[in-house]
Amino acid sequence: MTPDTLVDDTVVGDTMRVLVIEDDAEMASFIEKVLVEAGHSVDTAIDGERGLELARSVDFDALVVDRMLPAKDGLTLLKEYREAGGKTPALFLSALGDVQNRVQGLKAGADDYLSKPFAPSELAARVEALGRRQVGEPQVTSLKAGDLEMNLLTRKVTREGKKIDLQPREFRLLEYLMRHAGQVVTRTMLLEKVWDYNFDPQTNVIDVHISRLRAKIDKEFEEPLLHTVRGAGYRLQG
Amino acid sequence: MKLGLPTFLRTTTFKLALLYSAMFAAFSAALLVYLYYSTVYYIRNESDRRLDLEFEQLGNAYYTGGMERLSQSVLERMTRTGSTYFYYLEDSSGRKIAGHFQRMPVAPPEVDSKTVYFDFDQPEPDGSMIVRSAAGKFVRLRDNGGALLVAFDTAQQTAIVVRIQRAIFIAAPIGLVLSLLGGVLISRGAASRADELARTAEAVMGGELGRRVPVRGSGDEFDRLGQRINAMLDQIEKLVDATRNTGNAIAHDLRSPLSRLRNRLEIALSQPLSQEAASATLNETVEEVDRVLATFNAILRLARLEAGAEGERVRMDVSELAEELAELFDPACEEAELTFRSQIARHLMILGDRDLIGQALSNMLDNAVKYTPAGGTISFTAARGPDGTIDLTVVDSGPGVPQEARKTVVQRFQRLDSARTQPGSGLGLSLVDSVADIHGGELILRDAGGPPGQPGLKAILRLPRA
Repeated sequence: MTPDTLVDDTVVGDTMRVLVIEDDAEMASFIEKVLVEAGHSVDTAIDGERGLELARSVDFDALVVDRMLPAKDGLTLLKEYREAGGKTPALFLSALGDVQNRVQGLKAGADDYLSKPFAPSELAARVEALGRRQVGEPQVTSLKAGDLEMNLLTRKVTREGKKIDLQPREFRLLEYLMRHAGQVVTRTMLLEKVWDYNFDPQTNVIDVHISRLRAKIDKEFEEPLLHTVRGAGYRLQG
Repeated sequence: MKLGLPTFLRTTTFKLALLYSAMFAAFSAALLVYLYYSTVYYIRNESDRRLDLEFEQLGNAYYTGGMERLSQSVLERMTRTGSTYFYYLEDSSGRKIAGHFQRMPVAPPEVDSKTVYFDFDQPEPDGSMIVRSAAGKFVRLRDNGGALLVAFDTAQQTAIVVRIQRAIFIAAPIGLVLSLLGGVLISRGAASRADELARTAEAVMGGELGRRVPVRGSGDEFDRLGQRINAMLDQIEKLVDATRNTGNAIAHDLRSPLSRLRNRLEIALSQPLSQEAASATLNETVEEVDRVLATFNAILRLARLEAGAEGERVRMDVSELAEELAELFDPACEEAELTFRSQIARHLMILGDRDLIGQALSNMLDNAVKYTPAGGTISFTAARGPDGTIDLTVVDSGPGVPQEARKTVVQRFQRLDSARTQPGSGLGLSLVDSVADIHGGELILRDAGGPPGQPGLKAILRLPRA
């Protein structure tokens, strides 16, 4: 990381138009800076009413909604937005990080949840993942990343035609990485989405699983596909 | 707080007592009135029946033997000992034929018969006269024109009625007073129980959080109410303690890292720094802030746990979770050059919160990984424990925890001196302890039985089986 950027260059992906609804000016400008550096264009709203209005009138690719907002809190805003048929994926931000709050946020219509404080790369990666989601996950039967191929029906994984044997958990890990190929995914995202854990196992367990997976898919091949993004997470080359 | 009389008169219990007294009085009055009238009716009826019998017999005499036989019969009856009847017989011209009285005491009916009540004077043996009352029947004799009176002294009847009346007039007020008194006593008792509740509430409001409502063990509604209130007070006390502890913990454990941070920034400000040195200082600062935030989160989490505000317990297969965690930690152990063994019994069911149990087990495993030197062994087992429990055990071959330090190691922020060099907030085992607590289980720490100096730690999370 160079001193004047918050997010590693490699995080930069597709350009999206993001609406950030956050009342704390400093936090809002921080989020804006992170997302702009990640290559997105950002609009901001400083209260719930204005945020909802803007979200309804402009076609954004993703919403970043703070929980506590003046005029209309984030939960109500999301509920009303979804009830009115709003489809744009939303990331819910909150200083309240416990499980109940997360469940509340997801129930209100958020697609993902991030508790404050967060690392810039975590925010960038999650917004990026939201953008992909909007394209929709059609009922694919196979995934492809470079010369790596995964058949979801036969559960067979090959690279350059060579069969790769994976443990069930490694398979799910790779599947998630392939679905988000080209995108940075963080350790927390992997814990949440692959292991379904909403707690922090502390030891560098994810790193070890990744390095085992890497040994299986990269070791015997010339070009590495699974990269570590310093200070952020991992990225499977698309 | 002693209730003054006016206050007492306003209490619900007193009003209820009053209502019950009134109902009791009304019921008693109705009963007495019924008793009175039915008795009087019975006595009258009985006299009438006997009077009719008397007439029947005299009538027989008259019909079989005429006036002569009748007067004879009357005379016989008058002289019969023990007779309680008075007689008077006259002929058609109104002349007395036989009878108790000097002259007719009441006028005879023109035809048929009539019921008569009258007073008459009776001479006493000492020559004086007393007035007596009598009731009877006067009959005009058919065919003959004479008239016959049969009457009886009503003194006895009256005496019985008077006695009943007197009994009623004496008994009713006494009963009323007694029922009121009883009501007051009962309501006093209830009021004093309510009073105890009020006194406890006042004491608690006054800051005496440990005060509880006395429970008598009678299992009545006041006891049940008292038990509920006590349970509520326990919960409140726990919450207040948790808040107080959190405050202390924040003051104690966040102040020093924040001061360090401040010092570092002050030093950086006081001297010109190269670009490189500045960014190094800032990087360190960010790391320090992250640590402070992690500690802060851990404190909040613990506080919520201890207040029982977190976690939703459902029936779950803890074996599955343990298997997953074993799989998750296995490679990490290998990386750290530790031998990892796991033995998980299948389908161990508990009532638990998956995230909390997962966090607790992770903390135990993480602890073992951190403190066990390379080349050591960690074993993770899940099995049935004693008395319907499930034991989730992590055994390491690290330095262990000395007997005397085991209590403090689960307290917040207590880390053994030797562990200060390791990263961590020092909240790992306290969190396990809290999780055990809210699941109705316990965290047990033991020596793992290794060689002296390296006994190892055996940490058992013992949870009730579901």
